[in-house]
Amino acid sequence: MTIVGPVRSNHVQDARFRVLSGRPFRAGGDAVISVESLTKTFKVSRRMRKEMGPSAKGHLTAVDNISFECRPGRVCGLLGPNGAGKTTALRTIATMLRPTSGTFRVAGFDGVQDPQSVRKNIGFLTGNTGLYDRLTALEMVRYYAQLHGMDRAAFDQRRARLFAQLDMDRFANQRVSQLSTGMKQKVSIVRTIIHDPPVVVFDEPTAGLDVMTSRSIVSLIRSCREEGKTVLFSTHLMHEVQQLCDDIAVIHRGRIYFSGTKAEFEAQMTQPTYEDEFIHMVEGEPR
Amino acid sequence: MTPTWTIFRKELTDTLRDKRTIITMVVIPLVAIPLVMSLVVRVAQRQSEQAEAEQSKIAFVGQTYAPDLYGRFQADSSFAIREDLTVEEAAQLIREDSLDGAVEVPASFQGLIDIDDQAAVTIYFRSSNQLNATQRRMTDVIENYDSTIVSQRIRERDLEERLFDAVDIVTADVSSLQEVLGKTVGGFLPYIFVAFLFTGAMYPGIDLGAGEKERGTLETLLSSPATRLQIVLGKFFVVSLVGLASALISIVGLYLGVRGATEIPPEINEVLFDILTPSVVGMIISLLVPLAVFFAAMILAVSIHAKSFKEAQSSLTPLSFFVFIPIALGFLPGVELNVVTSLIPILNVSLATKDVIAGTIDPVNLGLTYVSLFALATASLAFCVAWFKREDTLFRT
Repeated sequence: MTIVGPVRSNHVQDARFRVLSGRPFRAGGDAVISVESLTKTFKVSRRMRKEMGPSAKGHLTAVDNISFECRPGRVCGLLGPNGAGKTTALRTIATMLRPTSGTFRVAGFDGVQDPQSVRKNIGFLTGNTGLYDRLTALEMVRYYAQLHGMDRAAFDQRRARLFAQLDMDRFANQRVSQLSTGMKQKVSIVRTIIHDPPVVVFDEPTAGLDVMTSRSIVSLIRSCREEGKTVLFSTHLMHEVQQLCDDIAVIHRGRIYFSGTKAEFEAQMTQPTYEDEFIHMVEGEPR
Repeated sequence: MTPTWTIFRKELTDTLRDKRTIITMVVIPLVAIPLVMSLVVRVAQRQSEQAEAEQSKIAFVGQTYAPDLYGRFQADSSFAIREDLTVEEAAQLIREDSLDGAVEVPASFQGLIDIDDQAAVTIYFRSSNQLNATQRRMTDVIENYDSTIVSQRIRERDLEERLFDAVDIVTADVSSLQEVLGKTVGGFLPYIFVAFLFTGAMYPGIDLGAGEKERGTLETLLSSPATRLQIVLGKFFVVSLVGLASALISIVGLYLGVRGATEIPPEINEVLFDILTPSVVGMIISLLVPLAVFFAAMILAVSIHAKSFKEAQSSLTPLSFFVFIPIALGFLPGVELNVVTSLIPILNVSLATKDVIAGTIDPVNLGLTYVSLFALATASLAFCVAWFKREDTLFRT
């Protein structure tokens, strides 16, 4: 992941923000995801005003002028606390939300001009992704394969491989409502990658999951990397970042505070742990 | 396979596996309607028979002042008479439901009758007790007595009775039984169709919109290559179809109900089956299709805006008032299908159905009804699609 924006952002003027600048990360070939000055604002709703106080009005900037790139065969982690803007950034990249300003490209397609092509090349999974209880595991996976325009032969081949890999054949024809949490997670995983997307986006994929289920997600992320896919995932868990990421971007209040490789992050650390470093990094933000 | 077709097939499979939908769409119309119809007819008939068979307990106050009239009441076996009560006591007992009615004759009664003058009799009863036949029975006895006295007076004066009955009204109703039934039962039928059209579409509508958010499947669907238009159309077709199927199944339920209700006289039963010709059924369906589109689009728009199943349900409850009020207006006497009412959605379906069943539908009014319904259906679908494309609808916080 390479920060371009923050280098030019006002944060770089402030000595408290140690944003690595001017050294774009170039490992792993050309960028598959490139985000340029992306901003997303929302109109403040009545409910938001209730939660945030009467001073909140007009528009709220959830993502503020961020830029970065992700390359194939690498796992890019977007690290930030709740409300940092991670989900908004990922939803925008997955073309569920339209950016207020800025541009982004995924797998060579412009996200604003050609969102459908972007979606064809993305697999998207969140920690609270649900399934359709009344469909069987096989129907669930086939539904998404059909939505991605897979032909029957390609689907059969890929399904057979993934179901065998994850030992899913024994419950392929059971309804989702009858499956255990672990089984459901396997269905979610296969649903995400059934169309063999070059880009996989995970939004807090392990949030609220037990240890065993989380492990299956971590394994999926690793296998995606091994297959040369570009993985972008958000988390607020430091150990996941340590475990999985090749590149790290720290996001807080919609802005990026740090971006670089994991090695670069560790090299500039002044605190003993990732968590301490993260807090130290964001706590001096001007309000 | 287009994404719309893929989504349609998946949503239909999912919906038809939902017990709530099956109960609303199939079980209630097919089982509940015939059962309720049969039950209502039987209970009403039994109560009416019971009321007829039961003796009326009445008080006769002042029996000595009108011995002839009192004698007529005594001769009628449908009365059990008490003579020991005052008017006040009788009225109190009627209020307490211990007595069904009372007759009060003033002291001057027989004197006035004897001098060929007019005497008054007061009858007491409770009008809130609708099934009670006492009022009618007491009136019948008194009117019979009155006729006898009047005839006697006419005879005594050597006059012809026709002198006092100058015009004999002979009624000749040219309405066919189909027309009469169409205007009476015909008002009730659209209530059933439209109610099932709406309630049948409601559960799938909520499940396919708010349910998608609650399950956490909406994001996944939106991240697929299907466009928002394709997604909303796929869902919309399922909601419309289920609503329409529910209304049609309710027609089958009514048919079974009529067939099963042995209490309905055979001549009425015969006409009812004659009414259900393919052209009448086809016309009713053609009126229901645009309404199904309108309901599906509105329900889906409300549902997709809601954050949860519960919120969608509570938002749709007030909407149902706007559905049932126009149907209820169709029941009102004097409200007919005309150039104005044929442009009022829902009410026009209610009134047009009545006229179609009665066989008195006016082609101009029917045409205007179609124009109004198709315009409404198109506008509501366009609104639903536009609504579904809004980020603040899909990701409302």
